Amino acid sequence: MLDVLLASILTGAVRSGVSVLYATLGEIISERAGVVNLGVEGCMLMGACAGFVVEAITGNALLAIAAAAVAGGSLALIHAFLSITRGANQLASGLATMFFGLGLTGLLGAPYVKANITGLNTVSIPLLGDLPFVGPILFRHDLLTYLAMLLAPALWLMLTRTRWGLAIRAVGERPTVAFAAGLSPARVQYSAVIVGGMLAGLGGAQLSLAYTHTWVEGMTAGRGFIAVALVIFSMWDPLKALVGAGLFGGAVAFQFQLQSLGVPISPFILDMFPYVLTLLVLLVWGQTGKRAMPEGLKSVLAGGSQNPIAAGPVALRSATSAAE
Amino acid sequence: MIIATPAASPLLDRVLDHAIMRMLVSLLIAGTLFAAILLLLGTNPLDAYAAIFRGSLGDSYGWSEILVKVVPFILCAIAAALPAQLGMINVGAEGQLQIGALTATMAALAFSGLAAPVLLPIVIVAGFLGGALWGGVAGALRSGPGLNEAISTLLLNYVALRIVDSFTHGLLKDPASFNWPFSPPFVDAARLPTFGDSRAHAGLLLALAAIGIVWLLLNRTRWGYEMRVVGGNPEAARRSGLRVGRYLLIGMLLGGGFAGLAGMIEVSAVNGRLQPGIGVGFGYVGFLASWLAGSRPFAIIPMATLLAIIAVGGEVLQISAKIPSSSVNVLMALILFAVLATRTLRLSGRLHRA
Repeated sequence: MLDVLLASILTGAVRSGVSVLYATLGEIISERAGVVNLGVEGCMLMGACAGFVVEAITGNALLAIAAAAVAGGSLALIHAFLSITRGANQLASGLATMFFGLGLTGLLGAPYVKANITGLNTVSIPLLGDLPFVGPILFRHDLLTYLAMLLAPALWLMLTRTRWGLAIRAVGERPTVAFAAGLSPARVQYSAVIVGGMLAGLGGAQLSLAYTHTWVEGMTAGRGFIAVALVIFSMWDPLKALVGAGLFGGAVAFQFQLQSLGVPISPFILDMFPYVLTLLVLLVWGQTGKRAMPEGLKSVLAGGSQNPIAAGPVALRSATSAAE
Repeated sequence: MIIATPAASPLLDRVLDHAIMRMLVSLLIAGTLFAAILLLLGTNPLDAYAAIFRGSLGDSYGWSEILVKVVPFILCAIAAALPAQLGMINVGAEGQLQIGALTATMAALAFSGLAAPVLLPIVIVAGFLGGALWGGVAGALRSGPGLNEAISTLLLNYVALRIVDSFTHGLLKDPASFNWPFSPPFVDAARLPTFGDSRAHAGLLLALAAIGIVWLLLNRTRWGYEMRVVGGNPEAARRSGLRVGRYLLIGMLLGGGFAGLAGMIEVSAVNGRLQPGIGVGFGYVGFLASWLAGSRPFAIIPMATLLAIIAVGGEVLQISAKIPSSSVNVLMALILFAVLATRTLRLSGRLHRA
């Protein structure tokens, strides 16, 4: 009995955690380059809506997934333009981006609210899916879930072992030094923010295409903000993001289990649990997490939030010469 | 940060130097972009703008609706603007409003036997305290363990909504509501009076008084001065002996209180009972208003009014052109985009603070 319960909670944790994992991974890339994007919530909604609408029209799941990534990336592009090129306050720009995504998806998705889709169904991996206990937990999921599991280590390799990863980290830590080393910080930040938005879009698509098979306005319900919190918990490390997203997913699955067991607690109170747990996790591990914070983010999260790169090469040049 | 950009057009810059001109330029940009989106959706933007204008500023009903909407926008803007003086980002007016509405409802139901002159102040204070409590949670988490308040307030918004849901579906559910998640209706003595037979109500006076009080607090008291010192340079403030953590906490308590007051007004003056969905989105609009106003108390009034006109016009648009109400969010976001994009816009080669 207990192992059945545990297995179903763990399976549920994977299923509910995947969308947040995508968003967390995307936000990690963006923040490693020095840009906080509170618009991830909006990027997720864009992905959820675009994926659902394209699936409803074409019935082609791969096209739907591609559309979700493009939609998330496009919204992130707005945030990139405002915070990198125009030097806007990152938090305000991110919130405006979130608001825009919420409104636009509400507008464009309205005719599709009651549409039926096939979406992404469970594909059991041969052999692995038949393993006792772990099989159902890890290897009987949808395509986007498998992709997410592979993505976390892949992004870790990308950040630590590739030129692009190095450039992202250099720009996030010391933009002036990166500039002096011949990198274009703005270009690197743009690429990181857009890729981050595309990943959040995929997370949204997992939510609408695989997890719920529905589209409802505002259906991400704060998962993007939870991802921003989990980035701190993950210490900006894609591998630790697996743990963070797993915790969130576990909390969701746990409260669903309690509800289905008929525990006499208001379902609304149970529904708070993932949010409260995220806050508690931040409270307990947030301080250790902050020590890993990319240098370029410190001014943003301390309330200043001006992107040093925003001013463009001229300011950077004067900053580098001042540093000499 | 001092930034130099290459020389181009000093004339345009002089135009952009004026806050009002800058705002008008931003509105023009946002309005054009929104028109483009409407066109793509197959709606004639001219008809839509005419509908927005007629529905909001065109008749007395529209005017009274604007006066109803502007009240929570102003109070939620204060909720963002006060902590902003301390360098804090309160995006939690949304949740603080919810908790304020909840505690105000509890007080209104618990003391329903009292006469209006006693009961109303109790309900007002209860709403303020509820919001202050919820803001204070984020404030305490910031001043103690150093948890970033932008993130904590965003998460607490979702928690607050569920707390209200659990009460309207549970302890506060009206037995006579046929299973709807409504609280029992307020007695008349717990309801803020309206002006004549319009829907505009005395909450407007509370909101305007709040603006005055906040301005006095910030500009005419030692405490307000110290707040700005903390906001300007927390390290220097700490060295000069100010207890920074306490200011951060009090800033969030007060800010949350004003959002809670907005919640009290929504249940007491507008709705007459607590139900899910009251005031949803007002907190975020208030944040936008505060941002557009540069967190200056008196600048909040015109900005909140502008957003109230858009919100009321958007409701009309929803009915007349069958465009979902979320189009309002799109237009508001576009305005903020335009303001953010033009705020640091400089075409000539002068030094400026970004």
